[in-house]
Amino acid sequence: MAATPSSPPAPTTGAPRAVVVGGNRIPFARAGGPYARVSNLDMLTAALDGLVARFGLQDEVLGEVVAGAVLKHSRDFNLTREAVLGSPLSARTPAYDLQQACATGLEAVVSIANKIRLGQVESGVAGGVDSASDVPIAVSEGLRRTLLTLSRARTVPQRLKAAAALRPGDLKPATPRTDEPRTGLSMGEHQAFTTAQWGISRQAQDEIAFASHQRLAAAYEAGFFDDLVTPYRGLVRDQNLRADTSLEKLGKLKPVFGTRLDTPATMTAGNSTPLTDGASTVLLASEGWAQARGLTPLAAVVDAETAAVDFVHGEDGLLMAPVYAVPRLLARQGLGLGDLDYVEIHEAFASTVLTTLAAWEDKEFCLSRLGLDDALGTVDRERLNVHGSSLAAGHPFAATGGRIVASVAKTLHRRRAELLAAGEDRPVRALVSVCAAGGLGVAAILEAV
Amino acid sequence: MTAVESPARGAGAGGAAGGGGAAGGGSAGRRVLALAESPGLGGLYARAGLASGRAAVGGPVRRALGGVPGIPAGPGDEGPRAAPALPPVEHRLGGVVPDPARLTAYQHLVGEPASDVLPAGFVHVLAFPVGIALIVRPDFPMPPLGIVHLANRVEQRSPLRVGDALDIRAWAEDLRPHRKGAQVELVAEVRRAGAPADGPAAWRGVSTYLAPGVRVPGAVPEEVARPEFEAPVPTGRWAFDAGAGRRYAAVSGDANPIHLHPLTARALGFPRAIAHGMLTAARALADVGARRGESYDWDVEFASPVLLPSTPVVRVAPAGDRAWSVTAWDAKRRRPHLTAEVRARA
Repeated sequence: MAATPSSPPAPTTGAPRAVVVGGNRIPFARAGGPYARVSNLDMLTAALDGLVARFGLQDEVLGEVVAGAVLKHSRDFNLTREAVLGSPLSARTPAYDLQQACATGLEAVVSIANKIRLGQVESGVAGGVDSASDVPIAVSEGLRRTLLTLSRARTVPQRLKAAAALRPGDLKPATPRTDEPRTGLSMGEHQAFTTAQWGISRQAQDEIAFASHQRLAAAYEAGFFDDLVTPYRGLVRDQNLRADTSLEKLGKLKPVFGTRLDTPATMTAGNSTPLTDGASTVLLASEGWAQARGLTPLAAVVDAETAAVDFVHGEDGLLMAPVYAVPRLLARQGLGLGDLDYVEIHEAFASTVLTTLAAWEDKEFCLSRLGLDDALGTVDRERLNVHGSSLAAGHPFAATGGRIVASVAKTLHRRRAELLAAGEDRPVRALVSVCAAGGLGVAAILEAV
Repeated sequence: MTAVESPARGAGAGGAAGGGGAAGGGSAGRRVLALAESPGLGGLYARAGLASGRAAVGGPVRRALGGVPGIPAGPGDEGPRAAPALPPVEHRLGGVVPDPARLTAYQHLVGEPASDVLPAGFVHVLAFPVGIALIVRPDFPMPPLGIVHLANRVEQRSPLRVGDALDIRAWAEDLRPHRKGAQVELVAEVRRAGAPADGPAAWRGVSTYLAPGVRVPGAVPEEVARPEFEAPVPTGRWAFDAGAGRRYAAVSGDANPIHLHPLTARALGFPRAIAHGMLTAARALADVGARRGESYDWDVEFASPVLLPSTPVVRVAPAGDRAWSVTAWDAKRRRPHLTAEVRARA
């Protein structure tokens, strides 16, 4: 790409750029749907298989495969390596598991991109998978302790004593909870407080949800996902997508979060993401590696920033960490919101997008909390989540980052080609922002190649 | 329990750093009663039941419970003793070594990390029987079973750790009228064994108790109008199931029947079992977490009991430099359970 005055400073050491070559995911299914009987390992392997097929990676030794799952069985301690061994990739491709809640997929992309830029690997796959259907069920603490004591007991009286400690209530299984361990509140409840604090209206949230469905449906109609999604278990599109939804239909849904606050409850099943099953993968490489295989780089991973907020001591809302990560990232790159052609803000809830935008438009907040000289600014809604996001596609926690990065890389590459065809040679950039449990947030900038 | 009584030696138990008031340990002519072992609280409650029966002069024990915040006071409560005064005694128990397994169970129960530093609430658990043994003395001017924990102040001046042997002292002071009866402060101090007896304690706790219906000399303070409670935006929620009282009783040794089971609680005038105040206070401290440092002040005021099971909502908020407030309340009834403040010590 030709350098222009507005492009970020090129690495001085001639470090290789890390580029997104493409991606593959399976359609996302609603919990209890067509993927109810398949496991995280099954879905991650399926997504990886499709990627291998799409880019001719059979028997290839890649630098690394990095993926993860948020709700994970203890038997899946080496989930990603097992997926590699079950895939057509060479068994000599290393792998490791990574977990950063809903930011797992994006963090996996950043990790591999950094290794490529350091020259430690030439290629890699970032991925993520989650099943809300095939979740691990643990035994109760009482039964677990009894079993552990039993396994350590050596004599019959010791075993009897250990077994006698069991209570009927101990036989009740413990299903995994997505509540914040430190506060006891669900993510929806936390976001309901943030929504109320920022005074986000029901109408505005429903409009975000409506746009998400409209845009995702249009993208499917236009064939945008033809080289990004491989059908699986009879599903060809994301199952949660409602092409026929309307503001009227969304407006009829009953609020489910924040129903005990003084302010009217606004968060519904329509403007919150549903529990979903699915997996995604992204192929990253150095430009040289891609060229040697005749593959077209789509976009470079320019930079990334992670942030965390203190929601435990009442300083910030649980999902507000990207609000902090993005200004730091933009400042480091010498960019403003206006320099971005596309902005992807993960729709954990419609109100997460809206509270994020509201915070960046609020001068007082930007001065006092973000340490800026002025409000960060406004995101042009026409550049926001242009092909729909998690409200329509669904959100299998660790799979969301890969879904977004593959889609946005393709979008960037197409846009740059259009501009070049029209004689306009300038950088085309996208911002990706994903909030996560634990008050975490990851943001990354990609630039079209 | 075996004990040796002797005249008090050593001053300064009242605390060099601002607490304690006039009645410093030993310095107010208190006799020292050296306990040979930690009093078992089960036995204390059995004795307490007997003592309360005596004190209530044939009246139901529940009468003594009137005046629990949130529980309507019964009419006609009357002081059981004439010219009540605190026994001039200080209890001491030396060489207490905390059991790491019990510490772990406590830390897991209240949400503290299983660190080797004793949470201030765990030190309270160690000191509690030494103080309660005062209340069940026949010469203590309050019936033990109806008393209500109003407030608790703890100064954790320097950290106590696993392996430390601890010397515990407890006495009662500041008996005075309350508009619902009489209130008293149970003071406990904990030092590392071998630390100078007249030096500052590593841990100092003051528990304020109300004995409803008990009359003591002095002017009854006027009721201070509290502003109506306005529920803030929560930051969390506590989940106390029906067995929370039994579990805290198991790790703390405080098996007061009002905490154990709906039936035993009902016999004492409560609709359901109630959570130990110090369990809720310990949850508040744990929510503030490690940012408090190893030395801190931890003040709690109890407003209304937490009936079990229940899920109070909580707000933790910054309250100045390295200080936090914690409010827990009943979301449905919009009634506060407790307010706490935790301040890191310089």
